[in-house]
Amino acid sequence: MAWVTWQQHRAQLFVGVSLLAALAVAAIGTHIPIAAAYSHEALPYCLPPSERAGCDLLVARFQEEFGSWATVVRGLAVLPALAGLFVGAPLLAREFEHGTYRVAWTQGVTRRGWLLSKSALLALATIVVAGLTSLLVMWWREPFDALEGRMAPSAFDVEGLVVPAYAVFALAVGVLAGLVLRRTVAAMTATLVVFVAVRVLVLVFLRPRFMTARHQTVLPSATGARSTEWVLSDTLVDAGGKQVSAPRENLAILHAHQASVDPQTYVDSLGWKRIVSYQPAGRFWTFQLLEAGLFFSLALAITAVAVWLVRRTPA
Amino acid sequence: MRVLQFHLDPSSGVATYLQIVQQVKEALRLGTVEVGDQLPTVRDVVADLAINPNTVAKAYRLLESEGLVVARQGRGTFVSSTLAPPSLHHHDALRAELELWLASAIRAGLDDESIRALISATLRQARRPAAA
Amino acid sequence: MTPALSAWNLGKRFHRVWGLRHCTLTIPEGAIVGLVGPNAAGKSALLALAAGLLAPTEGSLAVLGRDPLAEPAVLAEVGFLPQGAPLYRSFTVSQATEFARRTNPRWDAEIVAGMLERLSPHTKVGTLSTGDRTQLALALVLGKWPRLLLLDEPFAGLDPFACREFLQLLMEGVALISPTVVIASHVMADIERVCDGVVLLAEGRVRLEGQVESLLESHRVLLGPRRPIGAIRGVREIVRERHSGRQLTLLVEVDGPVLDPSWVVERVSLEELLLAYISPDRLRTPKPSEGIPLQWHG
Repeated sequence: MAWVTWQQHRAQLFVGVSLLAALAVAAIGTHIPIAAAYSHEALPYCLPPSERAGCDLLVARFQEEFGSWATVVRGLAVLPALAGLFVGAPLLAREFEHGTYRVAWTQGVTRRGWLLSKSALLALATIVVAGLTSLLVMWWREPFDALEGRMAPSAFDVEGLVVPAYAVFALAVGVLAGLVLRRTVAAMTATLVVFVAVRVLVLVFLRPRFMTARHQTVLPSATGARSTEWVLSDTLVDAGGKQVSAPRENLAILHAHQASVDPQTYVDSLGWKRIVSYQPAGRFWTFQLLEAGLFFSLALAITAVAVWLVRRTPA
Repeated sequence: MRVLQFHLDPSSGVATYLQIVQQVKEALRLGTVEVGDQLPTVRDVVADLAINPNTVAKAYRLLESEGLVVARQGRGTFVSSTLAPPSLHHHDALRAELELWLASAIRAGLDDESIRALISATLRQARRPAAA
Repeated sequence: MTPALSAWNLGKRFHRVWGLRHCTLTIPEGAIVGLVGPNAAGKSALLALAAGLLAPTEGSLAVLGRDPLAEPAVLAEVGFLPQGAPLYRSFTVSQATEFARRTNPRWDAEIVAGMLERLSPHTKVGTLSTGDRTQLALALVLGKWPRLLLLDEPFAGLDPFACREFLQLLMEGVALISPTVVIASHVMADIERVCDGVVLLAEGRVRLEGQVESLLESHRVLLGPRRPIGAIRGVREIVRERHSGRQLTLLVEVDGPVLDPSWVVERVSLEELLLAYISPDRLRTPKPSEGIPLQWHG
């Protein structure tokens, strides 16, 4: 089956590797000015929680200069879905559409063996390509990660172990969608919808709760402090600990203006505080393991369902 | 040694295996195959005529039962005896009988077409093995 | 000897339509059987069930003594040529051959090479004509030395020359391998040439089943003047009755010689016979299966 899988999917592998190569070239090319600016501006001395004078300005300029590239890299979060859309979904859907399953499933290889071998080999290739992409992104984002941290979703989702995990999950969803829907376009659509839905659900409801969030109380005036943590919430509370509503906050600022007093200092004097809940940067790899583990397990379960279902599919 | 080639006439009403038997016998009579010659293999006949191999096997078996060929395990089927052509003596006597019969048929009012039809039908009937 | 294919009360429903119903038949090993009938008769359904591609809705079937769904390993001994020969179009001829070689435990490269002499190994399957592609599919299916060969409408889309070429190749393969062969086709002409036995399906049911020779021997066409008919000596059952003007034509099943001088007796061709059993103007109404499988079905 290795030969068969290779013959049928080597074009896809070629595209994947070419994509990776193109990314690598772009990464290397863009990294040179970034690295130069980073060291030239002595930004290593501005890493949080440093409070050195002028750092805010330097960092802001750095982020502005290379911000567009960083945004593009964030967009790479869509890459894992491609494994599902273009490798997983057509796998079975195309066999049904072209009728070739009538040949493939009447040879000496059983249906289950056929699907299992193909899925395993394709998953392996997917992990390798996705893993290399992840390494590439991590290397490229080093200066940014140092300045902003990598716990926030914009960095977390494109680095580390989760990238191959997302890709293998998408692949499995695609295969099952192709088996059930039997039409390539429908399967691709379903794969995309499911992939996005699950990712969003995990991101919004599960990841913040992987470990208990930490809390920090800070002065209201201490806004703009840079950190590498993943801030989950930032609430303004009064001296009694009750959350301050927006109208009440606006009223206070109005009073401050009327009294010709700096609003920030005024709010501090009221005894109001900000409670920040966050996940610290040190938990990056733990969270990566947990989320990657979750998605790999989902991929395994979905593949098991597909392998079980394929024998029961009257064609 | 010439390789026999068979041809089928699907509309003749004669069973395929019998046509093969007839053609082998014809070849024997005309001397196109001689004792010791090999008949075409089942594979070759079937690849040429696109018929059931069992049909060819049946024909060869029938020829073997009549003592005309012998099947050698793994090597093919070979001619083992010839068919003596009917002697001219028989021809003369048969011809005389035929002339008498034809005179009766013409007297009965049969035209040439009817006579030929009657002869063909009767001949076909006579050649067929015991039928329903 | 286990029959190559046997079915008991086999039925398959597609949504609300029964593609096959109450199908009971036995095909002995080594037979070459024509599975004939009009379109949508259930021929493709029967073959797909035998190849393990469909699950029966009711009844059961055994292929070489085993259930193809429960024991898919039996498919290594079954050669299935689906309608349209849907090979992978992006493969070249040699890649398609390699695919078949690697997915089957038994492989005879010589047979395959012999049958594919005409085709260049680097041609893409997608660019082959229907005839060539069907021949390629046939070669690949014979290469696995199947004990049972199932061909679903192999003549579809083939011109008469390609048909003849295909049959030549098929029969040569059969002479070498001696498999049991089931050919499903609605083209009856070539069936008579090639098949020992025939199974007639119409509207999902088996209408007729038997050896070609005995079927032809046990049926006759009777021609005579149009008149009310009583029992005719030698005639067991009237299969079809047609009249035009003053002539009456009967297609009958006989159990002895018909010596009645008022009838002209003629032999019937296989095609005529099969058509008579398909057409609905039978005089007897169909009875449900009477327990023991009979030669006639409804």
